[in-house]
Amino acid sequence: MILGRVVGEIWATRRDARLGGAKLLVIRPHGIYEPAFAGRHLVATDDVHAGVGDEVIVCLGAPARASAGGNDTPVDAAVLGVVDRLDFEAARLAAPGAGPGIRRPFTVDLSGTGESAGQAGAAGLGGEARR
Amino acid sequence: MIRGKVVGQVWATRKARGLDGQKLLLVAAQDAQGAPNGRLIVAVDVLDAHSGEDVTVAFGSGARNVLRPGPENRDLLCDAAVAAIVEGAG
Repeated sequence: MILGRVVGEIWATRRDARLGGAKLLVIRPHGIYEPAFAGRHLVATDDVHAGVGDEVIVCLGAPARASAGGNDTPVDAAVLGVVDRLDFEAARLAAPGAGPGIRRPFTVDLSGTGESAGQAGAAGLGGEARR
Repeated sequence: MIRGKVVGQVWATRKARGLDGQKLLLVAAQDAQGAPNGRLIVAVDVLDAHSGEDVTVAFGSGARNVLRPGPENRDLLCDAAVAAIVEGAG
């Protein structure tokens, strides 16, 4: 799975019947491991009622077909969950001998209040100790 | 599978069915030399790996077998799962 942010929504009336009424979201991935999806944006089905601005977990490839109700759905990306909180230890990657680390970890700005976003950002980018 | 290092954890209350209560880890993928290659993965963890530990992550359909082995697991929305916690490598 990957992390991404919902940046838009797509409406399509003429669609494959197997897609049913699945909601389609435009996701901007924070990081991608699958070359086939290495674009700036991807479109994913959504079963968990995510909205624009939400940080989400996206499932890629064949397992995403479980979304929208079946194994025969023409789907290769599906939103699996909405991120509440993220602990990300950037400092661990910067430890001696750990290699170059992740370049540009990504902006941790969860959709909640500015306060929680600040905490998440501090924990992630500053590498503060986990609770 | 790939090797990676656990660098964090993700909490999501609203999750797809079948993933309730499952722990989600942030894993930084590593290259052959063990250095992070810049890719971040969210993986389901049933082995209770902790931050800082090296793990192997299974991708694709095989990852569903970690949650529920067998042919009846196709309804699971999971494409990455921790398959093993690395103790040593030669």
